[in-house]
Amino acid sequence: MADTITIEVFRYRPEDGAEPVYDTFDVPLRQEWRVLDALNHVKDEVDGSLTFRWSCRMGVCGSCGMMVNGVPKLTCSAFLRDFAPGPIRIDPLDGFPVERDLVTVLDDFMGKLSAVTPWMVHKDERSVEQGEYRQSPAELAQFKQYSMCINCTLCYAACPVYTHEDDFLGPAVLALAQRYNLDSRDDGNEQRYPLIWSDSGIWDCTFVGECSVVCPKHVDPSAAIQQAKVQSAQSFFASFLPFGKR
Amino acid sequence: MANPLPRRHSNLWWLKRRPYFIFFLREWSSLFIAGYAVLLLILTSKVLDGEAAYNSYVNDVLESPLLIGFHVVALLFAVLHTVTWFGAVPKGLALRRGEDPVPPSLIIGGSYAAWAVVTIVVAAVFLLD
Repeated sequence: MADTITIEVFRYRPEDGAEPVYDTFDVPLRQEWRVLDALNHVKDEVDGSLTFRWSCRMGVCGSCGMMVNGVPKLTCSAFLRDFAPGPIRIDPLDGFPVERDLVTVLDDFMGKLSAVTPWMVHKDERSVEQGEYRQSPAELAQFKQYSMCINCTLCYAACPVYTHEDDFLGPAVLALAQRYNLDSRDDGNEQRYPLIWSDSGIWDCTFVGECSVVCPKHVDPSAAIQQAKVQSAQSFFASFLPFGKR
Repeated sequence: MANPLPRRHSNLWWLKRRPYFIFFLREWSSLFIAGYAVLLLILTSKVLDGEAAYNSYVNDVLESPLLIGFHVVALLFAVLHTVTWFGAVPKGLALRRGEDPVPPSLIIGGSYAAWAVVTIVVAAVFLLD
């Protein structure tokens, strides 16, 4: 294995008003180094102005998502050795505005996330004396997979619909909405349906399916969206029945 | 935040990665299948017009090299659409046995089995006197 590998890093400096460029760096190719380690090496040893997000370094926080050779990845989980002999091209996540270098603007995602009420809604709040909201293992299994989302937005970068449609809520937001809709302790379905069943919700999804492929936590947003489509269609047809309700 | 770079997108996104290209082909397959359905409807109307009209349509139109080529391409697209469709069924059909999900391979296999049964029933109804 060679001693070094070349990384080509997207650079955008908003104060310059100039077009983005790629800066090239040769970094040590060590067996245990990830792409994030290479970026930290550049920042510590070569160019302190390189800007990117990271925190946990262990695939939990979801901060360090970037395009690595055109594929959305958590850079703390992408080993340099898997891209040898290189070069490795590192871009900010597709589909988002760029604040600086590899840092994306997440305002759109955060706004859409809060819009689908991604928290537990109770019609009747239980008092402490009444005890906890109980749930069987089978009921937990209905939604547990969707609760693993770490908001890393890799699925957004993989989704061509999100990239082209400004209104689309996107994979993670819809998966999280489905997570609460499937939770037996939650009463907020009727509150979420108008938005997630709208044209900017599940029906904007054309089922490319790459959101599920790139998800580092195996959430499978495309399954959540297709299952929500089935529920929405059932509700639509049920509304024509005398005893049905939408 | 000052002067962010607007989000970028390319109309050639479907050429950027293989999975996108397969998706693109899957969507385009519907056009060829719709075209095949139109030809089938015309064929049905020719049956109603009588034997001469039917034979003329088959010999002069359907057996032309252009339409034979179209049918070959439509068949390939139909196979692609069928395989990708059955492969996608477990995404929309979340079947569970207690806490465990039913394996996707079982759902896909069941879908193919159901398709085979329906095909045999339809063939039996129309082909057997």
